[in-house]
Amino acid sequence: MIRFVAGRLAASVAIVFVVATASFWLLHAAPGGPFDTDARRSAAVTRAMEDRYGLSRPLWQQYGHAMARLAHGDLGVSMKRDVSVAALIAEHGPISFVLGLLGLSAAVVIGVALGVIAAWRRNTWIDHVVMAGALIGISVPAFVLGPLLIAAISLHLGWLPPARIDGVTSLILPAITLGLVYLGTIARLTRGGMIDVLDQDFIRTARAKGLPEHRVVAKHALRVGITPVVTYLGPATAAMISGSFVVEKIFQIPGLGTYFVTSVSDRDYPVVTGVFVFYAALLVLLNLAVDLAYGVLDPRLRRTAGPATGRATDHATGSTAARPPR
Amino acid sequence: MLRSLAVVALVGCSLPEGDYFGRTPDTLDPTHFRWCNQGEPDHLDPTLASSTASSQLVATLFDGLTTYGPDGLPAASLATHWEIAPDLRTFTFHLRRDARWSNGRAVTAYDIAHSAFRVAHPLTASPNADTLAPIKGATGYLTRRVFVMRRAVASLSAGEVVEVAGEVASEPIVDPSARTGGRPLALRDLGAAATTAYAIVPAGKTVTLMMTTGGRATLPSPDGAAWAYVAWQRDLEGVAGWVPTRELDGEPNGDHVLQVRRAQVKDTPGPPDSRTEGGERPIVAVHARDLLHSTDAIGIAIPDPYTITFETADPTPYFLALTTNRALRATPIEAWSRWPRRWDRPEHIVTSGPFHLAAWVERDRVELVRSPTYWDRGAVKLARFTAFSMDDQAASTNTYFTGACDATAANTIPSSYLPAINGEQRAGRAYKDYDVSPFLGVYFAWIQTRKLPNVHLRRALSLAIDRTGVARFTHGGEIPTAQLTPGTPIAALSDADLAVCGVTRDTQGVALVMIAGQLCYVPPPGLSYDLAAARHEVELARGEGGFPDHVLEYRYNAGSEAHKQIAEYLQAAWANIGVPVRVTAQEWNSLLDDTHKGDYEISRLGNIGTFADTESEFLPLFRCDSPDNRGKYCSAAFERLMDEARTISDRRLRNAKLREAEAVMIEDAPVLPIYVYTQKHLIKPYVRGYAVNLIDQPPLWQIWIDPAGRAAR
Repeated sequence: MIRFVAGRLAASVAIVFVVATASFWLLHAAPGGPFDTDARRSAAVTRAMEDRYGLSRPLWQQYGHAMARLAHGDLGVSMKRDVSVAALIAEHGPISFVLGLLGLSAAVVIGVALGVIAAWRRNTWIDHVVMAGALIGISVPAFVLGPLLIAAISLHLGWLPPARIDGVTSLILPAITLGLVYLGTIARLTRGGMIDVLDQDFIRTARAKGLPEHRVVAKHALRVGITPVVTYLGPATAAMISGSFVVEKIFQIPGLGTYFVTSVSDRDYPVVTGVFVFYAALLVLLNLAVDLAYGVLDPRLRRTAGPATGRATDHATGSTAARPPR
Repeated sequence: MLRSLAVVALVGCSLPEGDYFGRTPDTLDPTHFRWCNQGEPDHLDPTLASSTASSQLVATLFDGLTTYGPDGLPAASLATHWEIAPDLRTFTFHLRRDARWSNGRAVTAYDIAHSAFRVAHPLTASPNADTLAPIKGATGYLTRRVFVMRRAVASLSAGEVVEVAGEVASEPIVDPSARTGGRPLALRDLGAAATTAYAIVPAGKTVTLMMTTGGRATLPSPDGAAWAYVAWQRDLEGVAGWVPTRELDGEPNGDHVLQVRRAQVKDTPGPPDSRTEGGERPIVAVHARDLLHSTDAIGIAIPDPYTITFETADPTPYFLALTTNRALRATPIEAWSRWPRRWDRPEHIVTSGPFHLAAWVERDRVELVRSPTYWDRGAVKLARFTAFSMDDQAASTNTYFTGACDATAANTIPSSYLPAINGEQRAGRAYKDYDVSPFLGVYFAWIQTRKLPNVHLRRALSLAIDRTGVARFTHGGEIPTAQLTPGTPIAALSDADLAVCGVTRDTQGVALVMIAGQLCYVPPPGLSYDLAAARHEVELARGEGGFPDHVLEYRYNAGSEAHKQIAEYLQAAWANIGVPVRVTAQEWNSLLDDTHKGDYEISRLGNIGTFADTESEFLPLFRCDSPDNRGKYCSAAFERLMDEARTISDRRLRNAKLREAEAVMIEDAPVLPIYVYTQKHLIKPYVRGYAVNLIDQPPLWQIWIDPAGRAAR
């Protein structure tokens, strides 16, 4: 277990390094720089600005400096705004996180419930309605849903503000816009996972033992059937924490997602490398958490049961009696 | 695209009836004004601010010798009166005595000078340094090519201003101002005790000497000994402060040898001496330790704490307009010494303007409050000013619509909303809170004259365009023009302005009213729509072998539907005269890069002026050595006329000469003007004093709210 985690962490460092390198070289391959402007500017001023950030040095030198800084945990300083990238993430990350958490929580709760119902009543009209709804949720992009919600609820009815985060009510529309995509995907994944599980032997055993149906489904089946959703939640949580560019632009939320796009068009090299490294690190750690979560949810996937002991915990009885080998 | 959907929904749910687009909030606080700004300000420090979202806020926080009047022209502020020498090369300003910083200290001429020196210093990397270019020595100071002799060497005397001879080196310039201290340096305020230091430079670490006491425009020594202002780059932000000069005993670059010669008389500050222009200027080899990168090489002098004099190398009729600019505003040295890049934050900032910074929530809003220390605080009616930093146009307009902001800045209305607001969809009844005004900017297309060298072909391209057809893509009342310099349509001028401009009402085109009732610039007629002439020019081009043998390319920046529609409109116009052109969208930064390098044939761009003068951002673009001359246009006749204009002090004569130059340029067609920009605002009916002017610099502190002006909605 420890070896497993340590191995994954070592791989994470390598992955983050590759992401940092790729983002650096790709962005420098794009024409233009952070100080391009259509206003008149003399060569002397442009040179002074580039010298300040070392942009006149050879590219290999700039790369070396950037990687050395990264190795010390310094994500660099924005060339456009003179604030450290770490400060940017600390300032703008929380609102993205809160919004994403709202959207994702609602999506998980509602999506899982819908998926379970659809699986339990599969191939009935309930199933078809829920799945059609889920498909619509996945298919309607945020940049369509958002403005429609704004136009209807903000402008026409005047119930909620059209932009900016200013109090709890202003989180509702962005959370719905953000969550609907997750909701549809989670519903479909849950349904798929549950259908798989409900046919399995141990479910038949539970039913044969006389457990009420709702316990069979909600306690025994769900625990295993939710595995595909857990897999999905890893990258979904990373995306949620780093913010959605589209939703943040539509609702003018000062979150982190904006920087993934604006820093590229600004050619703000440290911010690009910094936020992408942050996102990569987050993604890797969350995927690791997902893998560990598998073990918790599905005993058959557990790595804690070593081959030497041959022992495993039987969930139904709680005993750790030795099992005969299969 | 995403905004169009909101509009569809909005329109589908019916446009507001009545005269006003935006709703009036139920409760109105007449002392609090909420403004939908264009976006997040990049900085509020006048030295570093360069975004359009910051410039109007900067003017409210920091006072200047002059500030923006309601008409956008310079109005007396920190300076009560001034003298301008007849040759337009010396400008003397007299400051008021009652101006105070928010920390209680008096605002003096030194605050203006030290701020300008900071802008001009290469370490600061200020994007606004070009504003100071007309001042003697400012550009040489920025590029470290102008110095003051520290001691006599060969034919050069001590105190003489010298310039580096030879070509500009491309490798890093050795800085003669590098210094070290044998003991730790305690950076502090001028004259303060070492125990009050806010930063300690370890012994032997390099600092940069930026100023010394006792200069032409630096503070005198407080205790008889010389003090030095040094900057220490301990990290990217750095820190700076004063130390006694004697503590700087090391000069790491002192042995470096430079080839210098006496600077030209016209670039040397101070009264001219007996030497004449064009006299002998032998090149002398000196060591870096014989030189000082001194602010005395710059044409700014302070005879007493409330008087400041500027000297320019050439007659500069628009110098007064430059004093309203950020680069010449007063900034507090005690703040930017301690936190060079963060002193504009609410916890550190010190202001001198009508408003003070109460809060700055990044990417959300900037909160300003009336300053209790501003010298004219009695005239400021607002107690609180909130500027929302939304950069999405639909979000800003929606916020105005719901009543959460009282007015919008220019360029905050999405073009897809315009047909709903400007009356096109209401039988011509525009909403009364929608204001369209001329703007000092021109939308044009560059032609790369080295790739399309045949002048007849270029002229044909201009003559083939019926610019009146472009307006239907823009919806904002833009003014079609074939003239480079923007202005207001002559047909719409008042009788008084017509007289000043020397035109009659039926004259075609635009005129730039520089000072109402006094000064006007009428650009020469451009190559406007004439199909027969266009075809004739095409024939001439063919005859000279200048007709292109391939399909030409017109580029525009992606992201705007209007750019694409205009591109296709131009394409059709050129197909009409037999010139095949394809249109390509390109990402903005890539487009800037390619046009800068000349890697294009025809490209859409534009220019915006900062003050009402063609020399602001327009004609100088076409000079051979201008780095922004994307058309790579270089004409001896144009250069000669521009050089002659540069020496003329009489503004009317100067305008006449500039007009000749513009005529030469426009006939060569290196550029295709399309339309003059307009600025569009949404302003609630209860807002008063919002003075929309040609350069989009409304004095925001003059706004007030009249509760009786609320519409009945």
